[in-house]
Amino acid sequence: MKLMRCPLNGWRNISEFTYGGEVESMPNPVTDASDVWAEYLFFHQNPAGLVHEWWCHTATSYWFIAERNTVTDEIIKTYPTSELFQKRVDFSQEEST
Amino acid sequence: MPHALIKYGLSRSYPGHRHFNSRKELKDHYDVVIIGGGGHGAAIAYYLSKYHGVKNVVILEKGYLGGGNTARNTAVIRANYLTEEGVCFYRDSLKLFRGLSNEFGYNIMWENRGQLTLAHTDAAIRSFRWRAEVNKHLGVRSEVIGLDEIRELVPMLNMSEHARFPILAGLWHADGGTARHDAVVWGYAKGACERGVELHQLTTVTGLDIESGRVKAVNTNRGKIQCGCVVQAVAGNSSVVGRMAGIHLPIHTFPLQAMVTQPYKPVLGPLVSSPQYHVYVQQTSRGEFVIGGGSDPYPLYNTRSTLEMKESLAAAAMEVLPFLGQMRLLRQWAGITDMTPDYSPIMGLSPLENYYLDAGWGTWGFKATPICGVTMAELIATQRVPDLIKPFSLDRFYQFRQINEAGATAASH
Amino acid sequence: MSVEERLPAPAGLLLDRSKKISFRFQDKQYEAWQGDSIASALAASGQWILSRSFKYHRPRGILSMAGQDANALVQLPSDPNTLADVTPVSDQLAVVAQNFKGSLEHDKHAWIGRFSRFMPAGFYYKAFFRPKGVWEKIWAPIIRSRAGLGVVDTNYTSGYFDKQYAFTDVAVIGAGPAGLSAALAAANGGASVLLVDENRLLGGSLTYARLAGAADAAARHREQLVSAVGAHANITVMCESMCNGWFTDNWLAVIKGSRLYKVRAKEVIVCSGSMEQPAIFRNNDLPGIMLGSAAQRLIKWYAVRPGRQAVVLTGNSHGYGVALDLLDAGVRVAAVVDMRAEPTADALSRAIADRGVRIITGSAIYEAVPDASKNHVVAVEVRGISARGRCADHGERIPCDLVCMSPGYTPAYQLICHAGGRVAYDDATSMFTLEGLPQHMHMAGSVTGMYVHESVCAEGRYAGRAALQSLGLSTEDIEPAPVRGLSDRVNFDWPIFAHPAGKEFVDFDEDLQIHDIIVSTLDGYEDIQLVKRYTTVGMGPSQGRHSALATARIVADATGRTVAETGVTTARPPFAPERIAHNAGRSFYPERHSAMHHRHLEAGAQMLIAGAWLRPAFYGEKGQRDQCMAREALNVRQNVGLVDVSTLGGIEVRGPDAAELLQRIYTFRFAKQAVGRCRYAVMANEQGVVIDDGVACRLHEQLYYVTATTGGVDRVYQSMLRWNAQWRLNVDIANVTSTWCGVNIAGPKSREVLRRLCTDVDLSSQAFPYMGVQEGHVAEIPARIMRVGFVGELGYEIHVPQHYGEYLWDRLMEVGVEYGIQPFGIEAQRLLRLEKGHIIIGQDTDAMSFPAEVNLDWAVAKEKPFFVGNRAIQEVNTRGLTRKLAGFVIEDANAPCPQESHLVLDGDRMTGRVTSCYVSPTLGKTIGMAFVAPEQAQPGSTVTIKSTNGRLVEAKIVKLPFYDPDNKRQEM
Repeated sequence: MKLMRCPLNGWRNISEFTYGGEVESMPNPVTDASDVWAEYLFFHQNPAGLVHEWWCHTATSYWFIAERNTVTDEIIKTYPTSELFQKRVDFSQEEST
Repeated sequence: MPHALIKYGLSRSYPGHRHFNSRKELKDHYDVVIIGGGGHGAAIAYYLSKYHGVKNVVILEKGYLGGGNTARNTAVIRANYLTEEGVCFYRDSLKLFRGLSNEFGYNIMWENRGQLTLAHTDAAIRSFRWRAEVNKHLGVRSEVIGLDEIRELVPMLNMSEHARFPILAGLWHADGGTARHDAVVWGYAKGACERGVELHQLTTVTGLDIESGRVKAVNTNRGKIQCGCVVQAVAGNSSVVGRMAGIHLPIHTFPLQAMVTQPYKPVLGPLVSSPQYHVYVQQTSRGEFVIGGGSDPYPLYNTRSTLEMKESLAAAAMEVLPFLGQMRLLRQWAGITDMTPDYSPIMGLSPLENYYLDAGWGTWGFKATPICGVTMAELIATQRVPDLIKPFSLDRFYQFRQINEAGATAASH
Repeated sequence: MSVEERLPAPAGLLLDRSKKISFRFQDKQYEAWQGDSIASALAASGQWILSRSFKYHRPRGILSMAGQDANALVQLPSDPNTLADVTPVSDQLAVVAQNFKGSLEHDKHAWIGRFSRFMPAGFYYKAFFRPKGVWEKIWAPIIRSRAGLGVVDTNYTSGYFDKQYAFTDVAVIGAGPAGLSAALAAANGGASVLLVDENRLLGGSLTYARLAGAADAAARHREQLVSAVGAHANITVMCESMCNGWFTDNWLAVIKGSRLYKVRAKEVIVCSGSMEQPAIFRNNDLPGIMLGSAAQRLIKWYAVRPGRQAVVLTGNSHGYGVALDLLDAGVRVAAVVDMRAEPTADALSRAIADRGVRIITGSAIYEAVPDASKNHVVAVEVRGISARGRCADHGERIPCDLVCMSPGYTPAYQLICHAGGRVAYDDATSMFTLEGLPQHMHMAGSVTGMYVHESVCAEGRYAGRAALQSLGLSTEDIEPAPVRGLSDRVNFDWPIFAHPAGKEFVDFDEDLQIHDIIVSTLDGYEDIQLVKRYTTVGMGPSQGRHSALATARIVADATGRTVAETGVTTARPPFAPERIAHNAGRSFYPERHSAMHHRHLEAGAQMLIAGAWLRPAFYGEKGQRDQCMAREALNVRQNVGLVDVSTLGGIEVRGPDAAELLQRIYTFRFAKQAVGRCRYAVMANEQGVVIDDGVACRLHEQLYYVTATTGGVDRVYQSMLRWNAQWRLNVDIANVTSTWCGVNIAGPKSREVLRRLCTDVDLSSQAFPYMGVQEGHVAEIPARIMRVGFVGELGYEIHVPQHYGEYLWDRLMEVGVEYGIQPFGIEAQRLLRLEKGHIIIGQDTDAMSFPAEVNLDWAVAKEKPFFVGNRAIQEVNTRGLTRKLAGFVIEDANAPCPQESHLVLDGDRMTGRVTSCYVSPTLGKTIGMAFVAPEQAQPGSTVTIKSTNGRLVEAKIVKLPFYDPDNKRQEM
């Protein structure tokens, strides 16, 4: 069984992890066009090669990012989400009710 | 003994009649370039050449004929889908399968075994009834059946009410069956080659020359060819080839593993499937038991085997059919499947004027081979999208209109 | 030969001659020593046929004596396809042969072989389908009935199988001279070593093969290595253990007894050796014809004399060793036929010459001659080799009852290929070679093409040290790896001799002859993978162990390519056939029980499966579902009922941004939600599909307690964490599902019951209104009390710490007696909520349901800047709905109650389906919800439901809910 290094828990069998999809940035909910949203929601890079992905250590519910080669089945590196998402995200206006 | 074999046996020399063309130079131009020499590619070429008179066709295959998922699938042929679009499409495919041996003059060994899908929860019964009702309404034989009928069909099933997930009911699909999967692609390729189609194995497409929304030429490891139009039929590589055409696809590519036992005397007729346990089992005409289940947990373009999949398939298979425990596994393998968000294919027109898509075949591509050949050939020859495949257009995703097929595909390949 | 007539020691290494046992084969009784394999015991008694072949029903017997071929497959009770050559015989074992009709000696299906000319490779593709229909009616059943080998026991239930994990620095696979040397080298450097070997004895070829020099040279070498390994504290030895697969990151599957070991090794050294190959000539499959190493195993392991008069066919010096062993065992060696025109003399060949054995060089066996019964070899036709693969027109017939074949080897490359190693071919040595090993894998011994004993050991030591270096346990330079020399050349380049009458078998499993392989290439199937698929070569139980090399050579020759270009088909796990039961191990499908589980069972509940949980469906006899459900539901409407809701998920969101997180995760508004209030919470995914619902309770300004569906909570929790990893809001999120358990007490008398046990919360409607939440004590247990109304009556959901669950249940039932309290199950709950028009996610929704379709648009906030799924919901709504969930009633009292999933029609067009449907005891009619076309969804319109047996039933669409539209009951 493949091993994966969880940034929180160290090397674990890959069966302990849940795959969470490619890291893609969300379009603007208001200003981006329908086609852009359709691509974001349904389409994937799905590269034969390197890809950055969401992974979760299931037992501890710890999400992190993995860089992986989809051809060789190698995990290049794993790192905490905070390296990618460094700032608080806010959406334009606060609700009024 | 059949005439064909007697004639063969009595001839002094080997017949020497090749089923496919031998290796030769690529021509400069083809009217239709089919990327992918699997069942779909060969079927498209076959129907183009036989029924539409389109014969200047080339099939480009990077490996060997039918060496992708045509070789690796577990040959389950069924039409018990959930949506109207899906049921009609696979119903017509199944009909074609039945006549394929005589259509080809090549025995694909179709066998109408019937498929039994097991319900272990009341939610499953609801979803099976839904499928059965839709199927019946559209002329496909499916029925929710009770425990006595299940016992009669497959006496070896674990019918204990103390099982972790006791069997509560079944979906009996009398039309379901199987065939020799390799023979399907060979029959199509043979028929196409006899009509002038060229098959080029070990020929890899390396890029496409695109000008003002049209593919002008196809580059291969053996040189450039000009083309009238191009079809991509490369299950397991759809995103990669699509990218050459600048087309982004709603696909994630996952391995799908299966395993096979040694041959034993035949005891299991129907194809048996349990979505709850993620497993399906059938006994081939050679006597081997083929066991498969769900896809791998993460995307990969690699056919390596994993022990954890084998363990889970074995455990699941034995929960349903305990007698399998005595059998010995011979081999484990994998195919590479292009999964779409709505478990339905992507067929038809593309953003490029002369580029056609035959993609997103997930775990259901083999059973669609004949109908896919018929409809894609019609599209290419007539430039009109056949009604049967209109719902499967790439555009549906831009319209936020997916096909609701998710309920019928899990572990039933 | 009875057991007493066996060869004297040291022959018979595996035998315990103090224990005589008796067993049956077919209908005869046989004797054996403890330690015999089935095949060795039968051979000792002159029984050479073990089974019949797959296609032509030819008699087959011992080929490898190493568990590598399908010829030795026999049937044991509940254990078909057992390898007779390696399976130990046990007392009173009942063994039968496989795949014959009538008697094993005179198989009624053996005639098929005479028609082999009419059944070339792929014959079944070319026939049996004309006229139309004849295939399915006539031929398929006939062919199918002939398929398969062993007979399965359909009543089989497996014995005990389990699994164990093991960890080691170095795993050495194969305990021959290379493996023993590697293990010692690695262990000496301080590594922990796991040494795995399939055999009962350590030593590999040293246990049976002949080395140059004294007859006991191999035994002495073996003794030395084995005792050193046995004495080494760092080495753990696993004998009779089959390493059946290499998986990513050195995860090895090792089977021993009834246990699957999953071994994690930092380094793997593959010393799997090589497999001797058969020569290919007419009738090379007759019983009495075996590999040279098989004859040696019979002698050395089992003290069985493999024949009386032998011919040894060889292409290397090993054949001479075989001949010496035969002579020492009292077998007359009529000739050593050496295919090499000018073999280099060595110690072994000189010894043979010295003992007066006739050596015929540059010659081959052209044909083996069977006895009258066609069941054993009686002679061979030896002819000079005139050209590669061709024999002279005439030759000499030499009588013999034993033929030993030693034309060469293939490396046991399977594990290395599992790991991504590639098989290449070295034309100079006519040998497969291996390349492209992954990191942390090493190999040594004959698997690398090394055959000279000293070099084999040196290579083993080298691999052991290389593993140490990779482990960081050694930094010193290691001596260079030994290189292969002339004496390591063991393969004759073309031991393949076609015969006009055929029956020169390339693949014994599938009865494939040279002709079959060539036909395949002539038919256009030239790629080795296509050859395999078209002919089935290598697809049988031995997976091409004895056919891959010959097939590659024949295909290369027929297609004008090199063997290297032609290649071999992919080796995949397992290495050797393994029971499914081994992989399954113990059944492990855990189930979850709520804290009140036993109370449900005691009350006679029928349980149903809900995800991993078991929940009470209803309380009463199995066949009484409808009556129980109606009774339970009516009691809720009239008195008070109690339902276990412990399986519902619970998530706590804590911190300054708690409300903000909910705003973004759920479709509704939460920012202004008052403390002490609950709100219905719908969750959509990014595609806008409704995936979960629950109730969000604001316990404090910065603390929400959110419920989720039984099956959905883990996904909801993961999703919250994932979103917040991106948003970085100031919240903590905890899944508290298993911390809390809960009940819902519902019905007009629920307040009175609860008041008896809850004194610190004011339960009055003013102080604790509908959709309120309070913390307090129930039966002195700290509790969260929510006034929610899924079933449409006054009711309270009471959540308490999990371990108080049973106590809470007991107390409520106790004080509730006088109010008529009864437990109710999921079925009654489903009915009650239907009456009230509430949907169940997963039942009234499917994988593609949007909020507006299921009448949840009211729970979607329009003015929030963002929530998960909002854009997709907008897009879908803009494009218009294609269906809508609507309530219906069936007014015709005689119409059958439709079942869930029955279709809704508009003429012949399917427009939807029933999602929920019950006969309501409260309302006295059939009610339900169904997806219908939007234009059908207007209250008052009529739709057609295709009910049981296709009967069409008219249903009237009505406004939801069916029960208490003014909400007086739940808000009282």
